[in-house]
Amino acid sequence: MKKLLKSDSARITISLFLFILAVILEQTAALQFSLIVYLLALCIAGYKVFIDAVRGILRRDLLDEKFLMSIASIGAMIVGEWSEGVAVMIFYLVGESFEHRAVRRSRASIRALMDIAPDEACILIDGDEQIVDAEDVEVGSTVVIRPGERVPVDSVVISGTADVDTSSMTGEPLPVSASEGTYLSSGYIVKNGLIYAKAQRPSSESAAARILELVENATENKSREEAFITKFSRYYTPVVVIIALLVAIIPPLFSLATFENALYTALTFLVISCPCALVISVPMAFFGGIGGAASRGILFKGGNLFSKVARLESIAFDKTGTLTGGRFSVSEVRTFDISEDELLSLVASAESASNHPIAESLSGLSARKLMPKTVREMAGLGVIAELDSHTVAVGNAALMNKLGVDITVTESMPAGSLLVAKDNLLVGMLMISDSIKTEAMSAIESLRSLGVRKTVILSGDKRENVIRTSEALGIDECFFELTPEEKYSRLESLIKSSKSTMYVGDGINDSPALARADVGVAMGTLGQDAAIEAADVVIMSDNLTKLPEAVLIARKTINISWQNIIFALGVKGLILILGLFGYANMWFAVFADVGVAVLAILNSMRALKAPKNKKISAA
Amino acid sequence: MKIKYTITGLDCPNCAAKLADKMSALDGVDSAKINFLTEKLTVETSLEENAAYALLQDAASAFSRDVKIEK
Repeated sequence: MKKLLKSDSARITISLFLFILAVILEQTAALQFSLIVYLLALCIAGYKVFIDAVRGILRRDLLDEKFLMSIASIGAMIVGEWSEGVAVMIFYLVGESFEHRAVRRSRASIRALMDIAPDEACILIDGDEQIVDAEDVEVGSTVVIRPGERVPVDSVVISGTADVDTSSMTGEPLPVSASEGTYLSSGYIVKNGLIYAKAQRPSSESAAARILELVENATENKSREEAFITKFSRYYTPVVVIIALLVAIIPPLFSLATFENALYTALTFLVISCPCALVISVPMAFFGGIGGAASRGILFKGGNLFSKVARLESIAFDKTGTLTGGRFSVSEVRTFDISEDELLSLVASAESASNHPIAESLSGLSARKLMPKTVREMAGLGVIAELDSHTVAVGNAALMNKLGVDITVTESMPAGSLLVAKDNLLVGMLMISDSIKTEAMSAIESLRSLGVRKTVILSGDKRENVIRTSEALGIDECFFELTPEEKYSRLESLIKSSKSTMYVGDGINDSPALARADVGVAMGTLGQDAAIEAADVVIMSDNLTKLPEAVLIARKTINISWQNIIFALGVKGLILILGLFGYANMWFAVFADVGVAVLAILNSMRALKAPKNKKISAA
Repeated sequence: MKIKYTITGLDCPNCAAKLADKMSALDGVDSAKINFLTEKLTVETSLEENAAYALLQDAASAFSRDVKIEK
C-alpha cells in the first residue's frame, strides 16, 4: 500500500475515483459521507504537498508553491467548496506528473543519443585479456579493440593497422586508416583489424563524454526568453499573493462582498500564483530544441543561440572540408618512366577489387582494366595486386616504405598523395582532391528560401578552385587565397552589414572566425577541441543540409517558447481580471495553473521533433 | 574545490533555484548552482568532500524529502 501511494499515477487514479464517488454522494444528499470521501481523496492526492508545505513554513518561505497550493485547497474546503478544493489538488498532481514525465522524456532522449561509447572495454592485464567497465580503464593501460568494436576511451594505437569508422563522432563518411600512433576517439568503430591501443584519457574525459557534457552545459546558457521568464517569475508570485490578500480584505471592509466570497476569490488567485507553467515550459522548449537538434547531430551550445540562428541573414563558408569533401577525384597525375594511360590502367585494375571509398573512385579512372590474380588489402596502407606477373602496389608512403620502395623523389610533393609502385619501383603518383559535396547545392537553396540574403565563401585555397566552387553553387561573393587574418577581417565586415551572420567552417585554422561570427558553426570536427571551444554550434556530421535544418529547429523552438509565454500569461491574466470582477472560479484557476502548464509542456515537446519543411529535400 | 553531483527529485526549476539559494547560503559553500533539466548540482566549496556532501544532502532533505544527491 505504501509503495502504491508513492507512485503518482496510482495516487491520481485512487483519488480521482474517490473524488467522483464523493461528487455522486454529494448529489444524492449523503453529505457527511461525501465530506469524508472528499477528505480521503484530498489526503491521498495531497499528502506530499502538505508535508512539503509544512517544510516551507519551517524555513519561513511563505511564497512556497506547495504552501500556497495547500492554503488554496484547504481554504476552498473551509468555505464549503469541497469538490473544488479536492479537484485543485488532484489536478495539481496530474499536472506535476505530466511535467515530470515530459522532463524525463527529454532527458532520456538526450542520453540515448549520447550513448555512443561502449560501457565495457577489453584491456590487457599482465598479458591476459580482461573485460572491465569502461569507467575503470586507467590511463596508460592497453586496450584491445577487435573488428566491429567501438573504441571505449580516447587512446593511441600502439600496434595493429585498421580502417576506422569515425562517422558516429565526426560524421565523416570515409573511414580513416589507423596505424601505430593514430589517435582514436571513444565512439570510433574499428572495422577490419585488431588494434592494441594505449588509453590516453579516462572514459569520463573521452570524446563521447565531452559531447554529452557540451549538450548538458548548453542548457546553462540561457536564451533571452528564459532570462525574461526567470526575472518575471521573481515578481509574479509576490504580486499575485499581495493582490489575493487585498482582494480578501478590502471588499468586505467596504461591504462590497461577503467575506466568504472575497476569500474564495483570493484563494483562486493563490492557485494561479505559481509561475511554474512559465518557468518550466520556456526552458523546456529550449531543452527540447537542444535535445531534438542533438538527436539530429546538431549541437547548440546554448539556448541563446536559437534566436540568432532563427534570424540568420548571411552565411560565410569555409570551402575545403566544408563545401567540398567526402568524394574524391584525381586532380593531378605524375608518372615516372611510364605513360599516364598505363599508370591509370594499373591503378584502376589494382583498386577494382577493393570497396574502399577512395578505391571506388579510382577504379573508374581507366576503362583498360586487367583482372588482378590476387589482391592483398593492407588496412590503413593500401593495396598490393598481382597483375600480369607484375606486383603493383597502390597506397601511402608507409606502404612504400614497408615494401622498400625508394620514394625520395616525392619528398617535396604534397603529403597525402597516392603512390604507385610496379615491381617495387615507383612509377607514378596521383594527387587526390575533394569535390563539391553533393548536397551543397540543395542546402544553399534551402537556406536562401529560409531568408538568407547573402552567401559568401572565405577560403585560403587557390583562385581557380574557389571560383569554380563558388560559380557551381551560385554563391554571391567569394574571396580566395586568404590568410586566417584576412578571413577574420572579411568576416567582420560581413557581420557589420547584417543582422545575424553565421560562419561555417571545419575548425582547421579558423577558430578565430568561428568565435567572431554571431553563430560559429564547426562541421564534422569533434576530434578538435579548439574548434569545439570556439564554435557556437557543432554539427557532428559533415552534411550541409544540417544547416537549413538547424535554422528550422531554431525557428520552431523560438516560436514554441513565445507561444508558451503568451498563452500562459494570457490565461493567467484573464483569470485575474475575471476574479477582480467577481467571476473567479476555482475550476478556471486550476486550468490556468496546471492545465496551462501541461499544455505548454506538451507544446514544448514539439521542439524535440524534427520540423517539417518541404524546402529541405533529402540530399 | 568544485564538486559536481547528480540531484534528483526536484519538482520544477523554481524549486531548484530556491534550493540552490539555500545551499549557497550554507557555511563553507561559496556557490551552488542547480541545472534542473540536466539534474546537475555544481558546488564551489572550501569543505572536505564528505563533509560537503553531508551538508548538502541535509539541506536537500530539509527542502523536500524526495530530493536526493549522488556523487
